[in-house]
Amino acid sequence: MTDIGTINKGMADHNDHERARQMLALGDAGQLPSADHAWLESHLEACESCRAFAQDASDVVRALRAIPVAADRSLVTATQMRVRVRAREMRQREERMWLVGVSCVAVTLTAGFTNLACWRGFTWLVERSHVSVATWPVAFVALWIVPALAASVLLLAQGTHLADRNR
Amino acid sequence: MADEKTEIAQGLRRRDPDLLDHLIEQYQHRLLRYLISLTRNRATAEDLFQETWIRVLERGHQYDGKHEFSTWLFSVSRHLVIDFFRRKQPASLDALLEDEDKPMAPPVSEEPSAFEMLAQHELSERIAAGLDRVASEYREALVLRFQEGMSLDEIAVVTGAPLGTVKSRVYRGLSALEPWLKGIQA
Repeated sequence: MTDIGTINKGMADHNDHERARQMLALGDAGQLPSADHAWLESHLEACESCRAFAQDASDVVRALRAIPVAADRSLVTATQMRVRVRAREMRQREERMWLVGVSCVAVTLTAGFTNLACWRGFTWLVERSHVSVATWPVAFVALWIVPALAASVLLLAQGTHLADRNR
Repeated sequence: MADEKTEIAQGLRRRDPDLLDHLIEQYQHRLLRYLISLTRNRATAEDLFQETWIRVLERGHQYDGKHEFSTWLFSVSRHLVIDFFRRKQPASLDALLEDEDKPMAPPVSEEPSAFEMLAQHELSERIAAGLDRVASEYREALVLRFQEGMSLDEIAVVTGAPLGTVKSRVYRGLSALEPWLKGIQA
């Protein structure tokens, strides 16, 4: 029983040291709740090793704060330059994307209106020329496809083996 | 203070070059010191310093202005360091332990007396050497806590570690530096 009591007391002491040192190490002893602060004060009064730890911790922290690492002026200037160049690139890219977006919208709207106008034109022509109802939609589709087909053939002829064969 | 954070957030959303210039000036030493503590190599830290500000420019809209800017900045740079080490070799941040480059500038004291200056200089040199040897997660916690003056909560945000882990790292890191303070180098 005595042994267990000794062990328990030893563990409690160890926990007290650990608790005190953690409070000291975290560097916010001044901001501790008053009960914890009072406990720490009384523990430090009684415990020489924790007082030594407090002094060591304070010295380490002071030494840590005294280690200077200064950035070179050239590094700062180069960084500022790189950031400005990158910002300009991003702005230009955004402007290009905006133009592409506006162009897409314009093309879509134009195509829609043109389609509608052509459809009505065809309807009018069909009514006047008495073409069969089954034929004119085919003619309408052909009108849209033929120019695209012609352009494709021309492009192929310009940039493929067709051009080489013609030479 | 809240206004300053909001102004920074708005400026970053606009990609205001003058604001970025100002921020680079303002955080130059703190950011470089943090990067050196993570990479333990000045040249690498300087490269990542530049990359960090490019990333700030590109992802500035993600800063919400609720936290301190420094917390967000350090978090951005930390991710870049992790990416850098992943690209270099898939290992922990301690991968550069074998590097021979001296990461720390010679310590200089600001104490008034010549004797104190010398003593402080030697102490800082020892602690810098010790800091160089402790595990990277302890080093990072110590630098953020005592050199950058961040709160434990802020460190938890930067490192993405639970508060209890941060406390433990600070405590263990400080304890690990004790032998270096006394000149008993492991």
